[in-house]
Amino acid sequence: MNRISLSRRGFLTSACCLAAAPIFTPVTFAAMPGDNRFVTIVLRGAMDGLDLVQPYGDAGFAPLRPTLALTPDTGLLDLDGHFGLNPAAAELMPLWKSRELAFVHAVSTPYRDQRSHFDGQDMLESGGEHVAEEKTGWLNRALAVIPRSDARKAIDINTSTELILSGPNNVDVWASDSNLAPARDEMQFLARLYAGDPPFAEALAEATRANSASMMVEPEGQRGAKIADVAALAAKMLKGDYRIASFSISGWDTHIGQAGQFKRPVQDLSQAINTLKTTLGSEIWAKTVVLAMTEFGRTVRQNGSAGTDHGTGGCALLSGGAINGGRVLGRWPGIGDGQLLDDRDLMPTADVRELAAAMLYRQFDVSADDLTGKIFPGLGFDKGSQFLRG
Amino acid sequence: MSLSFPTMAAIRFGYGFRPGEAPPDSKDDLIGQLRMGVAATPDFPLGGPDMRHQAILSLQAQLKQIRQDAKTVTDDTTQREMRKGVQQQVQQQFQHDANLRLMQAVLSPYGFYERLSTFWTDHFSTSANKSLPMRLIVPLYEAEAIRPFISGRFGDLLRNATAHPAMLIYLDQADSLGPDSAGGMKRNKGLNENLGRELLELHTLGAGSGYSQADVTAAAMVLTGLTIDRKEMDIAFRPNISEPGAHEVLGVSYGGRRRSRDDYLDMLDDLALHPKTAAHISRKLAVHFIADQPDEGMVSDMAEAWKKTDGDLTAVYTAMLDHPAAWRDEGAKARQPFDYIVAGLRALNAGPVNGVVGSFLASNQQGTDEGDMAANTPGMAGSPVPTDPAGEAREKRLKAFQTARALGQGALRRMGQPTWLPPSPAGFEEGFSAWITGSQLAERLAWARRAAAQFGRDEDPREFLKSTLADAARDETIRVVSQAPNKISGLTLVLASPEFNRR
Repeated sequence: MNRISLSRRGFLTSACCLAAAPIFTPVTFAAMPGDNRFVTIVLRGAMDGLDLVQPYGDAGFAPLRPTLALTPDTGLLDLDGHFGLNPAAAELMPLWKSRELAFVHAVSTPYRDQRSHFDGQDMLESGGEHVAEEKTGWLNRALAVIPRSDARKAIDINTSTELILSGPNNVDVWASDSNLAPARDEMQFLARLYAGDPPFAEALAEATRANSASMMVEPEGQRGAKIADVAALAAKMLKGDYRIASFSISGWDTHIGQAGQFKRPVQDLSQAINTLKTTLGSEIWAKTVVLAMTEFGRTVRQNGSAGTDHGTGGCALLSGGAINGGRVLGRWPGIGDGQLLDDRDLMPTADVRELAAAMLYRQFDVSADDLTGKIFPGLGFDKGSQFLRG
Repeated sequence: MSLSFPTMAAIRFGYGFRPGEAPPDSKDDLIGQLRMGVAATPDFPLGGPDMRHQAILSLQAQLKQIRQDAKTVTDDTTQREMRKGVQQQVQQQFQHDANLRLMQAVLSPYGFYERLSTFWTDHFSTSANKSLPMRLIVPLYEAEAIRPFISGRFGDLLRNATAHPAMLIYLDQADSLGPDSAGGMKRNKGLNENLGRELLELHTLGAGSGYSQADVTAAAMVLTGLTIDRKEMDIAFRPNISEPGAHEVLGVSYGGRRRSRDDYLDMLDDLALHPKTAAHISRKLAVHFIADQPDEGMVSDMAEAWKKTDGDLTAVYTAMLDHPAAWRDEGAKARQPFDYIVAGLRALNAGPVNGVVGSFLASNQQGTDEGDMAANTPGMAGSPVPTDPAGEAREKRLKAFQTARALGQGALRRMGQPTWLPPSPAGFEEGFSAWITGSQLAERLAWARRAAAQFGRDEDPREFLKSTLADAARDETIRVVSQAPNKISGLTLVLASPEFNRR
């Protein structure tokens, strides 16, 4: 597996376009070192990182989660002797073994004491230090400072914009099964109809761009709205002009009967990542980083109804051929007495924004000044970060 | 005011114009709709509330029977078929109700009341996706816990919404037990703070308004005891699962040695009158109706009316309508998908009057059984068409159903606002930028084309523009529509115009 080294790279203007996508060769990629891809997946509803990546080696764990904690004897898939993967994520194990998957435990945004999904997601996607400090998404602000990014595109696979990619920089929003299908003469009338109304004119331009791009990669009739369809469309767009894609997976708000409820979103996540890999193909996958993250973690103790409530420290997931995986990153704070935040939550030991910043640096050469000034104001950035090593 | 009062009132505070229906011509007219709306019985749930209560109990019994059978019957196929049968029935009823709700908004002459019903149902979000019985309960919830209370005191609305089985199930309150209560210790179960949190964050004070995690936990403690009687599918208060002791929420202590229903009711009443609640909800109303960044003077007038009247919602709405900002800057908001589709069906006079393939509603209802089967079973829709007369009739019904679905619930789902299925307890997105995107526009255009072809054959696009947008139509839109290459295109352009997508 060719890994992308961490040397700083400049973007080269590329002649690639969608029509050319199927005939890309490894040689072409080698000649275009600025060709990396970045996918963010927002896990909405606060994923329980302690359920996905269980610290079974921590003696305190099982007593706090009488019906949720597993061990390798009860189906947990051992990762490194201390952590094990929830069996619902079994489809991710091949990626772990090929070192294309890593987990980062005990991360959170700076949002620490309120535990509202909506503020938590705003923080995660806006990248600010405080609630409502930033009005645009960090991934959108990043577009402005990626060297020679004007020819590159980003896409948000949704019916409505997600905050993470919203802002003044050009982003296309498109659902996996949308279809503009305009009659030729109708287009001229629509253009006139919207000429005096900028948001509508921009929406039409966006629809036209995304429609023609998606028509070329995926004929009408083969599209769907399932998670595999979404991931497949994102991957196909990334094979063309697009370099950044974002979508989300929901269903993580497991207040009750978590053992049953947790399975579906975990399977969705596994399927999304595997679909990305398969659809991108090995050459592009080798230049790809996928970052899946959630607004906050959940309580360490299970609650009165075999679920978990809103907590703080959580877990993020990295995947792709461009990462050095097969590791659980982050500093494990422990879950014993006195080690929890507010005596209830996993203590965060790293800011999830550091992880995002490291990936932007790795994939797109965004400068440290831009990372800590424009994209994540107030964040410290360390080029020796453990997220960048290896 | 740049537009005439009736235009502004119909588009900003209602679901737009409908031929043959006089738009509101004064503020009193708008406020008067509240009384009429509350007095009218909603069209859903199908068969009325009493029948729905029975249907829920019967579903509970069927599910229980299936669970019991599972222990003794070994025949998997029979079991599966039974479960599937029950699921299908419930799903069909849910679709009926969702269609009735859509048509209620299309046909009701009380647009302001209907818009407010949508607002409050979204404010106190519950999702029919939570469990199978919820498909029957959520429509009932809107009909009996929201709609009758939206013109009275907020405290009453809060009490009714909070204590409805739909809310108790959706936010897991039915599974929250006081950890130190007799019942909690016996069953080795404890607190679930979901409802306690959303009560403070979403339903009353608002996120970031200064309450602490301790307030959330205490509010959840005060709520323990409030649960569901599963046999009756009704709310119950059980002191034996109520966390003993006093619990302090925002500096006020509730409960004591003996816990009672009054503890949580007192807490709800205090929260309903809290100045932060008044400010949060006044602002949310102003954001919903007027602008993503509303006039602060208007918001404080509304909160002031709240304070003066102990949260009388009619007084709060009146304060909003009395403020000059309510009548400025038309088109600042984007119509959300439900709003867009209702306004479109109203403009095209869909329903019993303009029935191209029979009444829109009737096709929805009559075709559901076969249509659902066709929609759910691969291959069914494309199976050979029988040529006998009964087969032709069936085919016609099926087609009518498919059209109705494509213009109704199917479109709402594709546009991201399926009926009674919000993505989270915070409800659907509100802001302009969330709804005016390339993807959204593509869906709206597809809908406009289809609806125009379905209902607009006899319409002249220029006349349609006048009756639909009146003086809200811009000169450029009038020009473009009048030059359209054909009738259906012209009608499509009206429905696709920025004015029609804004309010």
